[in-house]
Amino acid sequence: MPDPLCSLTLCPFGAEDCPVWAEAQRLQEECDRLRELAQTDPLTGLFNRRRMMIALDQEMERTRRTGLPTSLMMIDLDHFKRVNDTFGHQAGDEALKFASWVWRKNLRRIDITCRYGGEEFAIILPGTRLHTAVRVAKRLQAALQNAPVVLQGRKVRLTASFGVDAYTPRQELTVRAFIKRADRYLLEAKFKGRNRVCSQKPETAKQTLEVTMDERSALFGGNAASENGLAPRKRTSMKG
Amino acid sequence: MAETTTRKYPQPVTACLSSGKGGVGKTSLTVNLAFALAQKGLRVLLVDGDLGLANVDVLLGLQVKTTIRDILDTEADPLEAVIYLEPNLGVLPASSGVPDLANLGPEDHQQLGGILEPIFQHFDFVLVDTAAGIGPSVLWFNTYVDYNILVVTPDPTAITDAYALIKVLSRNYHRQSFHLLLNQVKDGLEARQVYEHLARVASHFLNLDLEYLGAVPQDPAVSKGVRSQAPFLKIAPHSKAARAIISHAERLQGWTAPGPVPRKTAEEAGG
Repeated sequence: MPDPLCSLTLCPFGAEDCPVWAEAQRLQEECDRLRELAQTDPLTGLFNRRRMMIALDQEMERTRRTGLPTSLMMIDLDHFKRVNDTFGHQAGDEALKFASWVWRKNLRRIDITCRYGGEEFAIILPGTRLHTAVRVAKRLQAALQNAPVVLQGRKVRLTASFGVDAYTPRQELTVRAFIKRADRYLLEAKFKGRNRVCSQKPETAKQTLEVTMDERSALFGGNAASENGLAPRKRTSMKG
Repeated sequence: MAETTTRKYPQPVTACLSSGKGGVGKTSLTVNLAFALAQKGLRVLLVDGDLGLANVDVLLGLQVKTTIRDILDTEADPLEAVIYLEPNLGVLPASSGVPDLANLGPEDHQQLGGILEPIFQHFDFVLVDTAAGIGPSVLWFNTYVDYNILVVTPDPTAITDAYALIKVLSRNYHRQSFHLLLNQVKDGLEARQVYEHLARVASHFLNLDLEYLGAVPQDPAVSKGVRSQAPFLKIAPHSKAARAIISHAERLQGWTAPGPVPRKTAEEAGG
C-alpha cells in the first residue's frame, strides 16, 4: 500500500527545492526500506520469521472470528547440508532461492510463504481445511521433486519434508503452540524417511465425533431395534 | 409489545429441541409444547432455530414480516420480530431458504446471542426448535440454552443420529444433561425400551446418564394438525398425543433457570 505522502511529488505548499520536503521524503523512503528489511528474508524475498509470527497471529484471530480454519505447513529441505558440502554455500543459497520460487509458483496469492530459518520454511494457508492443505503440500512436494535445479553445471534433484496441521476455532492454541504442533509432523516426516507429507490424521479428528462401529452395534444389537426387525441380530456384550 | 401478563419466573428457562435426524416430528412437538406451557399461564417464546430452512411459521400458517435474519442484517428491534399467537405466546420466526444463515460464523453467533438475550428476558420459558443435523447453528443453540431435549423415534436411524448429536455435545461442548422425548411410539413399553437402550449405550460409551422426559404416541391428530397448519393441542385437545404433551409440559414447568451464570457458547466452550 503506497503511502499517500509518497504519491505527492511536490511540497504541499508549492515551494521549489523545499529542504524540509526533501528530508521528509528521504525519511519516508528510509522507513519503507527498513520495514522491508525487518520483515523479509533478503535471500529468498519471502517473509522472515518475525513477519510470519505476526501473520500467523492475524490468521488465527481471523479463524476465531470467522470460523474458517487456518492451515500451517512446516517444510524442511532434505539433506541440505550435503548440498552445501558438495557444491559450496553459494550453491546452497541458489537451492534455497530455487525451492522458494517453485513453491511460490504453486501457491495462491493469499497464501503466506515464509523462511522460518536455515533450510526451514513455513507456509500459512488462510481459510483452508486440513485435507486441502495436505493436498497442497503433496503438490509442493511433487513440484520440487520434479524440477531439478542446476548447481555448478550439474542437475540436482531437491526434495523436502512437510508437516501440516490446521487450527480450528474451538481450539485454544497460541501461535507458538500451533507452530510446535506442525513441527511435530515435520519431524515425523523426517523420521519416516524424508520427501513426504505428514499431518494430523483426519481419522483421529473424526473418530471422536463419529459413531463408532462398537457404538453402532451396541445401538442396534439391543431389544428396541431388533424387535422392529430392522437391525442385525448380532449383539456385542455390554457391561453395566 | 403487548405486556398483557407479567412474567412468573425470575429468569427465563431456556430449552432446545433437537433430533440429529430430520422428520421425527420435532417442530410439531415444540409448537405443541409451547402451546401447552402457555395454557398453564406462562409467558412462552417459541424460537425457530432452523435459520436455513425455517418451518415453524409454515406449521402455524403465520405471515412473517421481520425475521431473525432481518434483525442480524438491519439491526431491526428484536422484539418487533416476535409474533404473538396468544397474549402470552410469542414466536420468533427465522427466514426460509437462506442457506448462508445455516452456517453462521462465531462472530454472527455472538451477535445472535446479543439479540436473543434481551428478547428472552420478556418470557418465562423459551423453546428453541433447531434444524436437523449437527451443523454449527444446531450446536450453538444447544450450548446456548439451559436444557437439551432430544427428540427420538423408534426408527434406528433416528436413534443413531440422536446418539451422534449427544456424543458431539458431550465430548466437544461439555454438555452433560440430556432429556429424551420419544415420539411416534406404539405405546409406553416401546418408548421405555428405546429410552433404556439408548441410555445404556450412552452410559457405557459416553459415561452419561440420559434422562427420560416422556413419550408422545403415534396419533392421527398429529398429522391432521400439520396439514391444517394448527397445533393438534388446539384442534384435538383430547387426543392421546395432546394429553401426552400436556403432561410433559407439566414436567417442564418444574424446571428452573440455573441462575445468573454467564452462558458459555459453542465458541467459548472449547473442545
